[in-house]
Amino acid sequence: MAKTIVVLLDDKRLGAIKGSGLEDKVVDLFGGGVQALNVEVPEDKVKEITHAFDTARIDTRDCITDTPIAFNRTLFEEIAKSKSVGAEVVDAVLKRMDEIKEMAAKEGEYLPVPEF
Amino acid sequence: MPRIEMPPPHGGRLEERVAKNPELGRKLAKSAVAQYDIKPTLDENGVPIRNVYREIMSICYGFFSPVEGSMPQAEVERILKERRLLNDWVFPYPLVFDMSEEDYKNLGVTVGDRVLLRLKGKPFAILDVDEVWRIDNPEELATRTFGTPEGNPEVVNEPFDKKMPGWVIYKNLNPVVLAGKYRIINEPKLLPPFDRFWFPPKKSREEYTRRGWKTVINHQTRNVPHIGHEFLMKNAAYMGDMEPCHGIQVNAIIGVKRPGDYPDEAIVEGHEAVHTGGYINEKRHLVTICLWDMRYGNPLESMLHGIIRQNMGCAYHMFGRDHAAVGKYYDMYATQTLWSVGIPSFGFPAAVNEVPYGLKIQPQNMKEFWYCPVCNEIAYSDCCAHDKEKQKFSGSFVRGMVAEGVFPPKVIFRPEVYKVIVKWWKEFGYPFCNPKYVKEKEERLEVDLPDMDI
Repeated sequence: MAKTIVVLLDDKRLGAIKGSGLEDKVVDLFGGGVQALNVEVPEDKVKEITHAFDTARIDTRDCITDTPIAFNRTLFEEIAKSKSVGAEVVDAVLKRMDEIKEMAAKEGEYLPVPEF
Repeated sequence: MPRIEMPPPHGGRLEERVAKNPELGRKLAKSAVAQYDIKPTLDENGVPIRNVYREIMSICYGFFSPVEGSMPQAEVERILKERRLLNDWVFPYPLVFDMSEEDYKNLGVTVGDRVLLRLKGKPFAILDVDEVWRIDNPEELATRTFGTPEGNPEVVNEPFDKKMPGWVIYKNLNPVVLAGKYRIINEPKLLPPFDRFWFPPKKSREEYTRRGWKTVINHQTRNVPHIGHEFLMKNAAYMGDMEPCHGIQVNAIIGVKRPGDYPDEAIVEGHEAVHTGGYINEKRHLVTICLWDMRYGNPLESMLHGIIRQNMGCAYHMFGRDHAAVGKYYDMYATQTLWSVGIPSFGFPAAVNEVPYGLKIQPQNMKEFWYCPVCNEIAYSDCCAHDKEKQKFSGSFVRGMVAEGVFPPKVIFRPEVYKVIVKWWKEFGYPFCNPKYVKEKEERLEVDLPDMDI
């Protein structure tokens, strides 16, 4: 069964997709407190992702979660590049898996503290 | 309607195995024939996964009453078969003081000897050895501890493996077990921030009385509270007798946790921020801790939670979906099954609070809270019918938001709570538990010990 990855959008990411035609696909979550894009992942690719990362799992909403931040960032890069949330975006991310794993390994030790 | 009273301790009597008088402690320490420095249990990569000192603390301060020490082999066998101690009271897990063959040989003790246990290089507790036995097959012990799909088909979905922290703990136990009673002879001092949340059962019962609380409902946590947790606490607390519960107790389990859980410091201060922010009145809210390396045993863990909180004096315990669970090993409502109809294959043909020598604490089995944009409120899943529109509080979704540095909206985290996450993120360089945090925590622990000359 296909699953979903919810890609969170902050102001920077919203700016990056401005004029791309993706604005219509942005969904409001939690009363407009959070904006996101939903990316559908075909069943065979779901297994590929969950097997690639120890932490990745399917949550109660039937979404793939707990993927490395590097994976999420790459996914957004591909969305912005192809101006799409279609299956080709997932394929493009999977092609960059070695690079993602390398970045993810560094994430296990340190994540930058957000500045607010 | 009858008024609900504070329940008695599990087993009828609170264990308090702590020498409060330093002179007595010194004398007891002197009578030991050997000394042993407590070591953490490590996984196959050398990462700490358990420290038996936490079990000694929780036994000696009465959280696990009526357990008095490291268990003899017959008691472990009975627990694995029936989830009962040798004195018949229900108990979910084997608790043992284990060591390697080499350490045992070097220690040179046998039945009848007293061992001085040292922690952080200082005298901590004594163990009076009643029996020495061996774990022949730790993997088998691990599997029998948590169950199998064939043996426990009511609740176990899939075999346990190395992704299940509790199973890994038992699989990595050393072969030699010294069984016998513990006694703390040099009372540790809890380190900040844990010191202000330290309410062992005797003290928690006194605190409830001081506050005029008769009915207290407990919230189990290993999480920084998001709004879903807060609404669970507030709504579950409407249970009581002729009035809602007087007190809402949060009891955080402090110890080694799985990667991705929040650091213990953020958990306790995050819950504290719920009342300092005024979201639950401080007069009705008490944040407390218990030292234990979580086994993530869902229904079995819930039994231990019931024991801990009944001993602390709580009349009720809230249980949600996937209670103390990891992965999909157990059915997501396995805990609620144990507390509503029982799990015969674990020895409970009826609810664990309706069997002889069972628990007295009452369950409050809750489903879930979600955000509903149609109701425009945090809604209870059995009330809100907007199934398509609902937005669930997925813990992992919230963790993802934190990790990506997206400031969570107020409908997910109270800002005061999120500030606590960031505070400890700055301290540890990471918002969640990772091997570095676990290793450093193992050196620091949650306590310091006073000097004691023997």
